[in-house]
Amino acid sequence: MSADLAQEIDQWWERLDDDLCPLEATPEFEHDALRSHDLFDTYRVRMTSLDRYIIAAWLSVPKGDGPFPAAMYTPTYMSVVNPAPYEFRIRAITMNVISRGQRGADRPYAAAFPGHLTVGIDDPDRYIFRGVVADTIRAWEVLRNHPQVDTDRMAMIGTDLALLVNARRADAKAVHVTGSFWYRMKEIAAGTEAYPFEEINDHLRMWPNQEEAVARTLAHFDPQYQAERITARVLLNRDQASPTGNDAWFAPLASRLATGPTFLDMTHRGQTDYDAMDAWLSNELGMPAYPRSWTPQDLGAWSV
Amino acid sequence: MQRGRPEQFVSSVTKPDDFNAFWDQVQAELDDISLEPAMRHVPERSTAEVDVYEIHYTSLHSLRIAGWYCTPKPDYPVSPYPGLAILPGYVSEPTLPKSWAKLGYAAVGVAPRGKLRSNGQYNPGYPGLLVDRIVDEQTYGYRGFYADALRAIDFMFTRPEIDPSRIGVHGGSQGGALSLVTAALRPDVVRCGALAAPYLTGFMDAAALTHSYPYEEMNEYFRTYPERIDQVRKVVSYFDCLNFAPKITAPLLIYVGLADDICPPETAFNLRERLTCDVTFRAHAGCGHEAGVYWELPKVEAFLADHLRPAAPARLMTDGLEEVS
Repeated sequence: MSADLAQEIDQWWERLDDDLCPLEATPEFEHDALRSHDLFDTYRVRMTSLDRYIIAAWLSVPKGDGPFPAAMYTPTYMSVVNPAPYEFRIRAITMNVISRGQRGADRPYAAAFPGHLTVGIDDPDRYIFRGVVADTIRAWEVLRNHPQVDTDRMAMIGTDLALLVNARRADAKAVHVTGSFWYRMKEIAAGTEAYPFEEINDHLRMWPNQEEAVARTLAHFDPQYQAERITARVLLNRDQASPTGNDAWFAPLASRLATGPTFLDMTHRGQTDYDAMDAWLSNELGMPAYPRSWTPQDLGAWSV
Repeated sequence: MQRGRPEQFVSSVTKPDDFNAFWDQVQAELDDISLEPAMRHVPERSTAEVDVYEIHYTSLHSLRIAGWYCTPKPDYPVSPYPGLAILPGYVSEPTLPKSWAKLGYAAVGVAPRGKLRSNGQYNPGYPGLLVDRIVDEQTYGYRGFYADALRAIDFMFTRPEIDPSRIGVHGGSQGGALSLVTAALRPDVVRCGALAAPYLTGFMDAAALTHSYPYEEMNEYFRTYPERIDQVRKVVSYFDCLNFAPKITAPLLIYVGLADDICPPETAFNLRERLTCDVTFRAHAGCGHEAGVYWELPKVEAFLADHLRPAAPARLMTDGLEEVS
């Protein structure tokens, strides 16, 4: 990356902060009795984000006085956002961010799937994900300021969007990156026909003259260029058989992370992998692990 | 954590005496509603090999239902094509099935009511759909939702480029359930189905076995309205895939995760017991709701190709995938 682009990216992030910080979040917490439980309370949260856009979140707080460890689930690339898994909600304060465009924060902007990923993508200042990143930072601030959160035991779970948040707000102790999304996105898109990355290919087929502009915009969101600012311990899902998940793939990011990442080698058995992630994150947050798998799993001829 | 063996789990689901009459009535209502299919070519999503269309059709209560329709370009390869309905999961938006079209299928990605682009008149929200008016089988949200999936099959029947003798269904989770429902209620049309981790199968048992969404919606509902449990049990029995199972004649491929916290594997084993069609059933140890897709995707592709015989120029989706060791 050229020095000019690096400087442009740094300035872009500074401007994002400059635009977001003066806006008060003024969160509103509405208790949701239906989604609460003997072991935790659930709240629907509304708050003000960049451009005075009203975003939302699910907040779950264990019964008791706290302080509790806390985890934020960064927005997924879906219209629907659910509360966090039960097994997390009974142990920690959890927040699931509903960013602009997603159900619950879809006025005035309702995201289309596919389509959301390329709205304004030829200009980093107009790109919809400038707002989505700001929304996620804003939600993190609201979570951090919750009176029952133990601010020494906070984590994020999600795509590498979580790394971008940690680069701007250094309080997370641990980040579990469930998969590459912004990291080397254009390269991922070039090697797949699967959505959502295919949205990038669709866009460039339609507007091939934007190739350079799109690459420039995506560089603003690539966590490898923010890696020196990341302070959390990072868990990355690794798959040596995958060209977008092996050591060579992660090298540009891993080599720049101050703490060096921990790798979770995927077995592709989802619950086994989930339990390994939970063990790592629970250890980081100083809370007991809560594996979801059960026995028996070997059913002889029934199982593969 | 210890749990019983799933193949020994005894289902609590019973079939209402008027189950068939209930669905005959739904079909009668659909018969009175013109399908009014519409297609709009979407050049920005089309490729050199595949044409993409946004489609709409009319379903129960005269709702306009959206979807995506992907076909091979006329010379890639030539029609008629087998038809493939790709049925959506609970929280995901309908897929845009370009990769299937590239394999030679004319494929519909269905957006039943409540999904984006089909939610102008009905929008129960997520979480919310599973328990939306769950107190009455005539008003339960899934009555219309199932009908919308059936109408997608009817849409395929209107397309001259689709060979009506080669139509299949595919989906995971809720998409698996809708695959079962469409196979059961369109037995003369649906020739095969490949499905993962079927949802809406053993509703009440599943809710009792998990704290994970979407079934957790039922647990939340019962905590709020405990006096309605028996009423809900009766209502969901009209929508339970265990009760559709005996009506299915098409061959099925089913794969599940033995540690699936979202759709408990016990219910899938119950399903297998009640199916009388030809079933290939695989349960993956240590797998959750992804149900071993890492290994199953090439097998799904082969299963559908065996039954639907697309004239595909190349295999697409197996790169980098491994067989079960």
